[in-house]
Amino acid sequence: MAYWDNEFQRVRSPPLRYGFAVVCVGIAIAAALAIQQYQFRDVALPVLVLVIGIVTWYAGTGPAVVAVLLGTAAFNYMFVEPLYTFYVSARDLPYFLVFVLSAIIVASFSAVRLRIEENLRHSRDRLQTELEQRQRREAEIRKLNQELNLRAAELAAANRELEAFAYSVSHDLRAPLRHIVGYSELLQKHTPNSLDDKSQRYIQTIRESGKRMGNLIDDLLAFSRIGRTESRTTAVDLQKVVKEAISEIEPQTKGQDISWKIDALPVCYGDRSLLKLVVVNLLSNAVKFSGSRRPAKIEIGSVDANGDKIEIFVRDNGVGFDMQYVNKLFGVFQRLHRADEFEGTGIGLATVQRIVHRHGGMVRAEGAVDQGATFYFSLPKAEHPAKRTANAP
Amino acid sequence: MSELGRILIVEDDPRDVELTLTALDEHKLANEVVITRDGKEALDYLHCREQFASRADENPAVILLDLKLPKVDGLEVLQQIRSDQKLKMIPVVVLTSSHEEKDMLATYQLGVNAYVVKPVDFHEFVNAVKELGMFWAIINQPPPGSAKKVS
Repeated sequence: MAYWDNEFQRVRSPPLRYGFAVVCVGIAIAAALAIQQYQFRDVALPVLVLVIGIVTWYAGTGPAVVAVLLGTAAFNYMFVEPLYTFYVSARDLPYFLVFVLSAIIVASFSAVRLRIEENLRHSRDRLQTELEQRQRREAEIRKLNQELNLRAAELAAANRELEAFAYSVSHDLRAPLRHIVGYSELLQKHTPNSLDDKSQRYIQTIRESGKRMGNLIDDLLAFSRIGRTESRTTAVDLQKVVKEAISEIEPQTKGQDISWKIDALPVCYGDRSLLKLVVVNLLSNAVKFSGSRRPAKIEIGSVDANGDKIEIFVRDNGVGFDMQYVNKLFGVFQRLHRADEFEGTGIGLATVQRIVHRHGGMVRAEGAVDQGATFYFSLPKAEHPAKRTANAP
Repeated sequence: MSELGRILIVEDDPRDVELTLTALDEHKLANEVVITRDGKEALDYLHCREQFASRADENPAVILLDLKLPKVDGLEVLQQIRSDQKLKMIPVVVLTSSHEEKDMLATYQLGVNAYVVKPVDFHEFVNAVKELGMFWAIINQPPPGSAKKVS
């Protein structure tokens, strides 16, 4: 194939191609004449047809036409009786016509063949470039993959480090804290009379701050644990979860006048203990921030969100919040109230958001100052598992 | 409740030791307490080796074991206790700062009898230690061969 390519490439310029045609016909006629000298008969026709074929093959259609015309003329002049005239006698006409016809057929076949070959060559070149592009792309993908793997390894390492950090916080930070709280209490106990009121208050503050820091560390650890523990996904009856959550926060609700309104809640799909944590956090918030209301109204219900998600809301008539700060609500350690107004570590809603995100849901909040707040979270519906539990005996 | 079991405390932090002893003392449980300051010392005590070579060969009624210890850590101490024919019956209570699930999992898998997280709040801490002492040193009947003191 490469040989043919080279042959073809060599006769690209028009003068060369036409010259090639003329020379070829000349050589053919000379050869035919020479052979005739040795008493061989009727060689001119096949030799000329052959040469026309060769010319078409190598030089293309234009030179082929020239070769056919030239060959016809020369054949007529030198080989058809009467010799050395362009006159064609009636007797030789079929012979002459056969020559012309075969010359044309050979020429056209060759031309067709040539065109096909050229098309093939084109498609082959196209395929070649496509192949090269694909290989380049493949190499790029491989490189990106490698980078991705590297990133994943880095992330895993960072994660391990974080885990080690959380672990060490859990172990090492709590011990000195315990000692601060413990020893200040021992001091208080040991010297009840020798300390004046001011000193007593100082010690009390030390103890309270220590306790607060302990709560912060515990909450932060719990928060970091959400991302690390494996979740166990099952169908969860939210109605039951809400009931359990309400009894869990009972110590907090004691002495408060609360009118609960709990709508029918659907079954959803998720990790039961994590979802309970979400509900406990939201209800505890609602109770906390509606503490000044008589009665405090807390409503839990669901709205059918679009598609395969359900949205649960917890509404209270408490102190609410300014919508201007809504973006800060779900951040870690973000608080919208002063510590002396409402207790809290500022991790509850961050925990809620983290758990809901882990379930593929969304959180949002609506509220106005002194007009209560509503917190929404969406969860995937549990259609199949719900059916399964419904069918179970 | 005439018999008082011996309590072996394995704890490297002297302040935690003091707080624990203070808590135990509120119930007059501090008399029969042995303190070891790291995992190696605890194992020496249990095996009556080195400085404890001359002690009477009796097991404590309970071991209060911290997990983070110098030399030999708590998990390994626990593992060695559980794989020793003579020691494996001793009740072991892990008393640690760690809330971590993997610590709980590992210790329970090694057959710990109880896992108690040291509360930050002093009252809770005192109560926890007191109740531990009460239960393991007084209420619980330790396995045969444990040290007892008639009070």
